[in-house]
Formats: sequence, C-alpha cells, structure tokens
Amino acid sequence: MCWMCEAYGEEGKRWYLNPKNHSRQLYTIKRGRKESAYGTDPETLAGLEQRKVTAAKWEDPENFPQLLKEYNEKPREGGCQVLPLREAIQVAEMAYPIASMMCICRKMMRADEETNPDEYTCTGLGVGMFKWERWPERYRGGVNIMSAEDAKEWLTKMDKKGFVHMIMTFGGSYVGGLCNCDYPDCAQIRTRLDYGLEPALMKGHHFAKVDYDLCNGCGICVQRCQFGAIKFEVTTDRTNIDAFRCFGCGLCETACPRQAITLVERETVPALKEEW
Amino acid sequence: MKKYPRIIIDYAKCPTPFDCKKCLVACPQAIFEVFPVKVEKFKETDKKEPGTYQLSTFYLDKCTACGDCVEVCPTGALSIDY
Repeated sequence: MCWMCEAYGEEGKRWYLNPKNHSRQLYTIKRGRKESAYGTDPETLAGLEQRKVTAAKWEDPENFPQLLKEYNEKPREGGCQVLPLREAIQVAEMAYPIASMMCICRKMMRADEETNPDEYTCTGLGVGMFKWERWPERYRGGVNIMSAEDAKEWLTKMDKKGFVHMIMTFGGSYVGGLCNCDYPDCAQIRTRLDYGLEPALMKGHHFAKVDYDLCNGCGICVQRCQFGAIKFEVTTDRTNIDAFRCFGCGLCETACPRQAITLVERETVPALKEEW
Repeated sequence: MKKYPRIIIDYAKCPTPFDCKKCLVACPQAIFEVFPVKVEKFKETDKKEPGTYQLSTFYLDKCTACGDCVEVCPTGALSIDY
C-alpha cells in the first residue's frame, strides 16, 4: 500500500483526497511550531538532506550506496507523489484557496524568472497562500489566487503543455503544493530518477496501459513521457510502456488522440502493488 | 571507481550569475544551480547586486565536460578539470 495513504488516508480515500489533510487546522498546528528562519524551514531542511545524498554520488562515490540505502529506509514524514490530471482537478475542488505562483526549481536550475501569472507554472494550496507575500526573499512574493473553475482550467493548460503534476505536503500531512514540472528541471523528478531517492517523489496510484487494437503508433505519447517509460516499438508499430518505469502521471493518456491509453490502478496488479 | 569532472568556478569573476544565467541555460545536462546567498527578510534579493546569488555545480555527476559552459561564460569564470 502507498505509505502516505496508510499514514494520512481515510476509508480507502487517497491521502490527497482526504479533506482532513486540506484542513486549515493542520496549518495552524504546523505554524504553532517555532517560526522558521530562512534556510531552516522544513522544506529547505528536507532539500539539504537530499542534497547530502545526491552530492555524495560524485563527492564521495564509495559511500553513496550506503547513504542512499539509509535515506530510503529511514522513517518518513510527509512526501511528494505524482498524480494524474483528473485527480489534480479533484484536489482543485477540495483545496481552498488555490493559487498559481512561480516555480522555485526552475528558478534555481535554469535561472528562469516567472514574474507574472502568464508565466507561473506552480500551484500552491491552502491558507498559506494568503501569507505568501511575506516571503519575497524566497518566492518573489506574488501569487495569483484562482477560483476552483479557473484552477481546473489552469491545471488542464499545464497538462497540455506537458508538465507532470505532483502533490506534496509541507511537514506532516498538510497538503500545500501541486507542482507542474518536467525533467531535468524538477528537483523531485531528478532526485528520484537520477539518484534513486524514493521519498523524494513517489510513483502515483496508476500506471499507463496501451490498448494495442486502438493504438496506431502515431508516437504522440512518446514525447510526453518525462520518466523514460515510453518507447516506440518498431517491431509492432505500436507504443510500448514499461509499467515499472511509469509513474502514472497520465500525460500520455491525455495526449492520445485515439484514447488508446488508459490509467490502471497500480494496486490491482500483483507485481506493481508495492512499486512506489 | 568512475571519475567525475570538476568545474572550477572563480567566484570573483562570477558576481551576478542569476542575472547573467548563460551557463545555466546553455548546459545540455542541466548540472548548474543558482541560489541566493544574501537574504533579507521581506525583501526580494536584487539579482543585479554583485555577490547576492551564487552558482554551484549541483548535479556534477551528470557533467560530460563538454565545455559549453566555458565557451558561453562572458567573464572566463569557469574552467574544467578532468
């Protein structure tokens, strides 16, 4: 079972679709802790911890496997998971407020400056959005608060662009962010794919499956995959998706003009059940 | 054990990396990262002020030592050791 659902889910609901984890109360509890100074907030600390492991790959290659093993096995608190557009839309119906904002990963990786709502790519959820102006030193301050309907349209636009949706908590179970990102600029995707840090980004609750009768091998889905799971199989003249590499983002599904790709629940297939 | 390249950054010659961003954009392997080192609460860090942002080689294990960054750097702040 998905450990996040085990810890924060309820009555078979996914953790991010459990209204409790969107509760303002949780945010208050979290804020009840000591006010974090720049660089000591939970998000930064988690990032620095991940960095210690990833940097070891080239700084201390001998100890890297051991450090990685320890990181993957230690107890977790909060996390980040891939989700398909249709579930991101369900989250938009549940979370309040919801706002678009700049992406910190792209800022750091490509010095990309998203200065206005037309350029924003990240989504923030919950009451924290009301206070975002307080952190211009980190996030440039501005957010664009959206109605649920606008947020759904916005997420669909991000999906069309080809961004993977990821939902994350900021300390404990409080759902705070819904990223739209890609490889290699997303720190979470990259940390998982290139270094194998499993808690950095969990696979989603689905995997993509091709209907070989409907697929005509047009290849549109191949360029949408950020995880290297899709290949064009020359032999069969069809798309081939490796379910073990698939993270279940559904970008291939939303792009397929023939509806030949469906998302299947991971937990209905024996050998994928524990693949997170 | 695999040998990884090292990119040496001469910080004196790289005062405003977030404003310049040439190597960050040019790198085919996206190994660079830029982050603020001067942080004032409630104030956005000025990217044009020297020394406020710093460049780092975050994902160096992915570096191919191709030299594209050295080529685009307008101040000669980067060199590769391999």
